[in-house]
Amino acid sequence: MILLLALAAGLLAGLAWARWRGQTYQAPELQYLWLVFVAFLPQFVVIYLPITRGTFPEWLVVGCLLASQILLLGFAWLNRRIPGMSILICGVVLNLAVMAANSGFMPISPQTASRLVSEERLLDIQTGSRIGAKDILLHPEQTRLEWLADRFLPPVWSPYQVAFSLGDVLIAFGAFWLLAKPESSIQLKKRGIPL
Amino acid sequence: MKNKFALLAVSAQKINRQHLQMILVIVSLAMLVLGTGAPTDGGGVGQ
Repeated sequence: MILLLALAAGLLAGLAWARWRGQTYQAPELQYLWLVFVAFLPQFVVIYLPITRGTFPEWLVVGCLLASQILLLGFAWLNRRIPGMSILICGVVLNLAVMAANSGFMPISPQTASRLVSEERLLDIQTGSRIGAKDILLHPEQTRLEWLADRFLPPVWSPYQVAFSLGDVLIAFGAFWLLAKPESSIQLKKRGIPL
Repeated sequence: MKNKFALLAVSAQKINRQHLQMILVIVSLAMLVLGTGAPTDGGGVGQ
């Protein structure tokens, strides 16, 4: 949700910027779009699709999740010359590193999770169990690369509570930049950057 | 008249193609951020 908001904000900023300059908005010229669909499919089936999620063994979920993220990283790398993509790539690498180091899921501490769910519900979830779509409940001392885990939270007064990682911040910022200030291939060629 | 129709058809085709390309790019970026990001809110917990 928070990442989609970053995309929407980037698009709005891009449209406003183009309008202010009296130009037509140009979406970033991404290459190998088919790769995103192929890469996202396994993750969509095991994580997001309500009728299929929860029906696969954990090793398969982990395999699909990591394979999907590696393929998405490949897509981002193939489009690395587009402004904003390098920031997004850094975020993907950080998330991938912490997830690969912690059984394939994003670690979240009980203390952080307590801001998202009630204490009673949290007591039902054992340490090492999955929580949310991609997270795993782990104490900070059990977590590898803890500084890259889902450890950031919005202020307490915020009506929308979400835990996010440093990688998520970079992904959101990169996605915002991609849509807010895209450069066409002509502009990139002018700057001497081949696509 | 025939020329005007042809011009209109070409313009409509261009607009559709541009819009379609933009939608495709936005959908792809949405999949990219959803696939690589891992924030969690209270909504998905316990599923």
